[in-house]
Amino acid sequence: MSFPSQEPLLSLEHVGLAFHQGGLALRPRPPFWVLKDISFDLYRGETLGVIGRNAAGKSTLLRVLAGIIRHDRGRFINRAQSISLLTLQTGFVPYLTGRQNAVLSGILLGLRRAEVEARMEAIIDFSELGAFIDQPLSAYSSGMRARLGFAVAYQVQPDILLIDETLGVGDAEFKEKSAQAMHERIRSDKTIVLVSHVPGTIRELCDRAVWIEEGVTRAVGDVDEVTQAYHEEVSRRQQRHEHAIRAL
Amino acid sequence: MISSFFSTNRPIDHQVIDLILYKTYADLRAEAAKTYINYLWWVIDPILSMLVFYLVFGLLFQRGGEGFVAFLLSGLVIWNWYRQSVAHAGGSILNGKGLMNQVHVPKLVFPTVTLLTDLTKFALVLVLLLVFLWISGYPVNASYLALPVLLVVQLLLIAGLAFCLAGLVPFVPDLRFLVDHLLHLQFFCSGIFYSVKDLPAQYQGWFYLNPMAGLIEDYRGVLLHGTWPHWGRLGLIALGSTVLLAVAISFVHGRDREYPRAIR
Repeated sequence: MSFPSQEPLLSLEHVGLAFHQGGLALRPRPPFWVLKDISFDLYRGETLGVIGRNAAGKSTLLRVLAGIIRHDRGRFINRAQSISLLTLQTGFVPYLTGRQNAVLSGILLGLRRAEVEARMEAIIDFSELGAFIDQPLSAYSSGMRARLGFAVAYQVQPDILLIDETLGVGDAEFKEKSAQAMHERIRSDKTIVLVSHVPGTIRELCDRAVWIEEGVTRAVGDVDEVTQAYHEEVSRRQQRHEHAIRAL
Repeated sequence: MISSFFSTNRPIDHQVIDLILYKTYADLRAEAAKTYINYLWWVIDPILSMLVFYLVFGLLFQRGGEGFVAFLLSGLVIWNWYRQSVAHAGGSILNGKGLMNQVHVPKLVFPTVTLLTDLTKFALVLVLLLVFLWISGYPVNASYLALPVLLVVQLLLIAGLAFCLAGLVPFVPDLRFLVDHLLHLQFFCSGIFYSVKDLPAQYQGWFYLNPMAGLIEDYRGVLLHGTWPHWGRLGLIALGSTVLLAVAISFVHGRDREYPRAIR
């Protein structure tokens, strides 16, 4: 799927971002460029997969897109009203009840207080917590917390949803339910950026893909072509690695 | 004006106001839930700290005498509000690092929330202080009309310092250690357990360079003696605090997206 005639919701042109070493030092260390040259567009209604190995800069890129940190160079044009990173259990406090935590978390994720309260029934339903919702969070199992976290995050519907990797959500049974809900949302006409290092996930769920390597976009476009190129690079590296081990 | 600083596109961001109010409520609830006697601590804690001072200065040093308890209590209540607010708010953005790396939170929210939680607790203690004073023979008088002005000026002063520190500490964490000592020094310079008349005459002018010294004296004038505040001095404190607050807000707001990177 491509949208050549449409104006992109997000545009990144040669975006770069560096981390600086803080504190007084005799010799200031040079900045470390996590993102060096990232360029791609995101169109309304598509699901864009971002693929790359560990430490390629995927998480940093998501934080730039979510507006948590600002890039240092290049251009980042955002035409969307709201973008948010799917985060679970954001702002959860053990001493408050599940209901209070749900409200706090929902507001942090961008909802009005009244909106969260109006959706409380849906949150309780989805999380399968029942009367436990009024117990303090410290009495919850980790699975229950995860369910509540997901149920709240699922109520937030930004213009652009950013998703990082597979979601670790509690017990196996709920994992299936949450994954199914997530897949449904991804397949709908929502605009989504999905980050993963598994080509299969990207191929299954995305319309287009971006491959990022060491902070640089290596390829943008058709899912199959991009994941294929990524796959080849990974196996090339693996071969080189094996050669190096054999040479020892 | 201030609300426009919180928002990037809309004049008043109701969502941010929801966040500030609910987070304040949640923080107060969570703090109370940590202990057995919950909210009672907000009252017992200041009473215990006042007892310590009364034991040391009233009994041990024999500084007591007529009206010493009321004198000491009013100074301590006012001072504690200042110290706690400044100390708590100073680290508030730094302490919000977990949250600010997950979602975008306007960084001014963090010190605003701690200021509000401390203000709530202070309000409770202030009511108790007033009741105590009325019982002990210091009745409500005409100069009480100046009390709201004093409270607002002190709030401005607290907010100016708190936002300043909150904005600087993430970049220079070392400041926190310095602030503890400076607050300690300021405590001894604010005339909480002595009055300015006890100082050598040549230092009395310097004494009022510390805004808390002037404020505490004005509060005592209103609460204990029925005299009006020193308006000129109060105006200067208000003006200075407002300038400081405006500078601090624009500093923090301008670096809104730098904090998550600075604090890791």
